[in-house]
This record gives sequence, structure tokens and C-alpha cells, in this order.
Amino acid sequence: MRESIGPTIRLFGRRSRALSATLTVLAGVACVGGSDSAELHDATGWYGSVLEHPVPKVDFTLSDTEGRPFHFASETEGYLALLFFGYTNCPDICPIHLASIAAVRRDLPHELRSRIKVVFVSTDPERDTPERLRAWLDGFDKSFVGLLGSVEQVNDIERSFGLAPSYVDPAQNTESYMVGHAAQVLAFTTDNLAHIAYPFGTRQTDWSKDLPRLVRDGFGPREDR
Amino acid sequence: MKDILWWCAARGVEWTWTWQAYPGVWLFVAALVFAFFRLERRTVDEAPPEASSSTWRRTAFLVGAGALWLILDWPIGAIGAGYLASVHMVQFLVLTLIAPPLLLLSIREADYHALARRLPERPFRSVTHPLVTLATFTIVLAATHWPPVVDTLMPNQAGNMLLDLLWLATGLLFWWPIVAPVPIRRGWAHPTKMVYLIAATLVNTGTFAYLTFTALPLYATYELAPPFPGLSTRDDQTLAGLLMKIGGAAILWTAITILFARWYMESERGERTPA
Repeated sequence: MRESIGPTIRLFGRRSRALSATLTVLAGVACVGGSDSAELHDATGWYGSVLEHPVPKVDFTLSDTEGRPFHFASETEGYLALLFFGYTNCPDICPIHLASIAAVRRDLPHELRSRIKVVFVSTDPERDTPERLRAWLDGFDKSFVGLLGSVEQVNDIERSFGLAPSYVDPAQNTESYMVGHAAQVLAFTTDNLAHIAYPFGTRQTDWSKDLPRLVRDGFGPREDR
Repeated sequence: MKDILWWCAARGVEWTWTWQAYPGVWLFVAALVFAFFRLERRTVDEAPPEASSSTWRRTAFLVGAGALWLILDWPIGAIGAGYLASVHMVQFLVLTLIAPPLLLLSIREADYHALARRLPERPFRSVTHPLVTLATFTIVLAATHWPPVVDTLMPNQAGNMLLDLLWLATGLLFWWPIVAPVPIRRGWAHPTKMVYLIAATLVNTGTFAYLTFTALPLYATYELAPPFPGLSTRDDQTLAGLLMKIGGAAILWTAITILFARWYMESERGERTPA
């Protein structure tokens, strides 16, 4: 199963999983709660969704949570870089994705773990202050990189990766507004391409199979095939 | 009517402490209460009154039915259905090991005999045979903790209700040979009942080990649920396994202790009775 990256976007306002699932399925990428990990497994042997057209790594620069510039392309060179766009007030997709990656990464031996960089770009700069973002990411894994920029900057970056830009429904006039954002994690291997995207619904068992393989072999063919 | 939530289910929405009505649970508990008091009234006419034990029986019923209401309704029902496997395990323990013996204890002996007279003897004896009830308990316990079953049933209200009622029915069946006076079986006395319950403490070992020692989350329902504050998916699953083993053992050993005490007291009484 090869997938085009498509605009998988989390709908805000209506928080139903069923609706999210419908949207995600419509976008042709993933399945949501209740999914069996085997559903994600396909003929390629990967548990994420293999992209029909690999996404090249874009060289963007945003501020990290310490206020220092973070050059994405150069600072993730030679690493398996997992890139994800989201926001700290996200009720489900963001914390679930990050908790899953953190839990599986923790289980890996040091030599593999140290070759993975997780980069989280905030799509809600209004509420995600550097301190808030740092504290939130530390709750998952202190090594996770948090990046901040203006809405326009972040949207441009999302577009450059072929992702739908984030979106806030103007009808949401409360402080607890939700932000629509791409729901998949892009995995850039050392060839500076993302061959696989991990949609919402990716389980720890899927990550535990793909991550070590991506770090060791990149997007190479499986030896046993 | 379409938007009414009748029974708890995994909904995939962020948890809030805002109260939610589950009329299906209320109807179920109301039906249980109605059935109990109807049975009570009828047996007054048909059987000699057992006034001394009626308070105890009513208390057992109210505690049993109250426990069911507590764990099926909001918030415990909702948390167990869609957020925490450990809370779902508490529901399992109440539905199979706590509420059923209390409900069975609340029925008069005369009613048991009346029921036995109405049922065909052979199937009744077979279904309530201790080996059958223990085997049923073991199979249902293992099957209903198998991830594909859980992840299929939990996201919909009917599925979750089916699971809850199946657990309750299995619990009633499991406790029948311990509590119910019918059918009368030769050799089925306190010591054999204790052996039966000791065996029951062992049958969950496989499922307990599966839940407790599997490194990765087993259930998509809980793994992909919006996070519940304070507990990671893996810790929650481990806690669920420990609750099954330790909580289940505590309940069963309490019952074993009660049986032993009754056996001891009856033996003492027997020895003191002059020939």
C-alpha cells in the first residue's frame, strides 16, 4: 500500500473519533481507534504508510524552546528525524502520538535511541509559549525538540512538506479553541527523504517494529524479503 | 433519541468531569430492583416467611445492585469503557465476583426450590455443575480480555453492554454452586466448595500474566484514547493485570474464609449435639 501524503487534517470543534476516523479514511491515510496494527502492515513490510512520492527534507529554521535558531535540515542530518506538527492543547492526536514515540524510543538500546530526533512544530504559537511547550514535551521525553514560529511561517513549512496548513475555525470564540492540523508524523531517514508517514492510529507495536529498522537500515529493502 | 447515550462506550473524546446520563444503565438497575421486590412479594404468599433473614437478604441485594449501578454508570462506567483498562478491570471484578454472589444471596431458599421445580432437571444440573461453571468462567475471562474482542466491543454501546451483561451472567453462573441450594449434589459440601474457589484463583493466571508482563499496550481502545491524567497506557495495563490477580484473589479468599468459618462452626455444633 503506497500512499500519497494528502491533507490529513484533524477537525476541530467536533471532537468525535468517528468523525476524525471518517476524515482520515477519506484522506486515504490511516485508521483510528480500534484499529488492529495488522491493518497498517502492508506488502512493503512497514507498519507506517509508505508514501508514493517521498517527501524531501526542507531546510527551514525556527526557534527552539530556548530561543535558539534550529536549522531543521542541518541539525537532523544523519539522524532518523520524526517531524510532527501539533499543539500543546491538543486533546488526543498530539499527546497520543508523542506518548507512543516516547515509550518505544525509551525501550530502544542507547545506540539506536541516540540516532533518533523527534521534532515537534507548534501550530498554535498564540498559546504555546516556549516555556509551556518545553514543559509539555518534557512530560513525554526531554530530548524532544520543540519549535516555534509565526502561524504564517509554520503554515508555509507545512505546505512545503505537502501537508495541509493548520487552521483555526473563526467560529470558535472561546479560549479553549482547537486547531486543525496534519495528523501524521513524517519519518526522514538519513537520505533526507520521508518515505513513510505515520498516521493517527499508529500503535506502539507498529513503532517498535519500524523505528529500529529505520534507524539501522534507513528505507532499505528488508533483508528477509 | 438518536443522540442519547444509553450505555457507556469508548467514544474517543477528551475526558471531562461533566456529568453524562446513561438511561440504559438506570433502566437495567430499575428492572433488577423491580424483579427483586416482585419476587419478594410473591414468595410471602407461597412460602413460609423468613423474617429473620429478610433484612440480611435485602441488604445483600441493595449492596449488589448498588455496586452494579456504581460501576456501570458515569463516571466509572465511562472511564472503564474508553479511558483506563484498570478501571475496566474493576468493573470486571464487580460484575463477576462481587455483585453476583450478593444477588444470589438475596434470593430466598423457597424461590430457589420453586425455580428448580420449573426447570428441566437434567439441563439445569448440567449447566450449574461446578466443572461447567468453572470452565465457563475461565473461557469467558480469557476470551473477553483478548484484544480483538475488547477493541471490537468497546467502541459501541451495544457491544459494551453485551460485555457487561455477559460478565454478570458468567458471574452468576460461577457463584451458583457456592450460593444456591439447588440442585442438591452429593459430596458438594464446604470443603469441596473451597477447592472450587481455590481453583478459581488460579484460572486467571494466564490472562493476568498476559496483561501484566506484555511490554506493549494490548488494547487499541485504551492506547489510542485521549490521555487520562496521571496514568500512562503501559502503567494502566500493568495495574489492570495486578488488579485482576490481587483483587480477584482477595475476593475469592474472603469467600473461602467465610466458607471455612461456616464449616468449622457447623462441625462444632455437630460435635456438641447429644446423640
